[in-house]
Amino acid sequence: MLLPLLGTENSERVLIFLLTRNEGYAREIAQFFDTNLYAIQRQLDKLEAGGILVSRTVGRTRLYQFNPRYPFLNELKQLLEKALSFYPEEVRQNLIMNRRRPRKRDKPL
Amino acid sequence: MKSINHMTQGELGAFIQSQLRKQGIEVILAGGAAVAIYSNNMYVSKDLDLINIYGVNRRKIRDAMTEIGFYEEGRYFKHPVSPFFVEFPPGPLAIGAEPVKQVVEKKFSTGILKIISPTDCVKDRLAAYYHWSDQQALLQATLVAQQHKINIDEIRRWSLAEGKLVEFESIKDKLTSFHA
Repeated sequence: MLLPLLGTENSERVLIFLLTRNEGYAREIAQFFDTNLYAIQRQLDKLEAGGILVSRTVGRTRLYQFNPRYPFLNELKQLLEKALSFYPEEVRQNLIMNRRRPRKRDKPL
Repeated sequence: MKSINHMTQGELGAFIQSQLRKQGIEVILAGGAAVAIYSNNMYVSKDLDLINIYGVNRRKIRDAMTEIGFYEEGRYFKHPVSPFFVEFPPGPLAIGAEPVKQVVEKKFSTGILKIISPTDCVKDRLAAYYHWSDQQALLQATLVAQQHKINIDEIRRWSLAEGKLVEFESIKDKLTSFHA
């Protein structure tokens, strides 16, 4: 949707993923969109260097999220929300409807 | 002129800014180095965040920095004889969602340093405290407020605009108790 503006499809994928999930790491974003891990990592690096994202490590995983101090954050999120509304319903549901609540380690399915 | 290895953080910032200004590159000091300068080095930071307010091309900055002996390492610039390293975060110059309207000019023997004001420096640190509950950032804000007269009404107004008035009210005494 925003390719002409953002320059790369993977940049949009990263932003849309983080908009809906609040945080994420490179491998899960790449797996969700079935795309190249390195390409996603590069976009995460670029967006972090630009002050749009921030990251922290949890264990051995680097988790990314929007930088709450990015001055255009509200406007960017509004734009992404609008773009998301044009996504196919199935993709939107898969992005939004993922389990976030805790699950005990040994709990049977 | 002092040699680079003897320059303080402020002097080095002024020197770099003056050199970049000759090339038409305008950058403003913010971040931890501003805290170090305003707290009279009660807070120590080795990096200089020079905000690239007009989005000047990285190559142009690299050329100007190379001319004064710095080399690029990742996103930083280092100098063989200086303990400080320099970063050029992209603009805009903003604290939270608001643009910085007033920049302070401090005169050093090495040039003029453009730096965010003490009040904006406190707001910048409080932004980190508000969003991440970063106690170090709150301490840094306190150190700046100890050493400089800050506009507490402006900080309150800004906190309200950021939706953090409750948080501000809970810490404002830490910023004002020294000047009572």
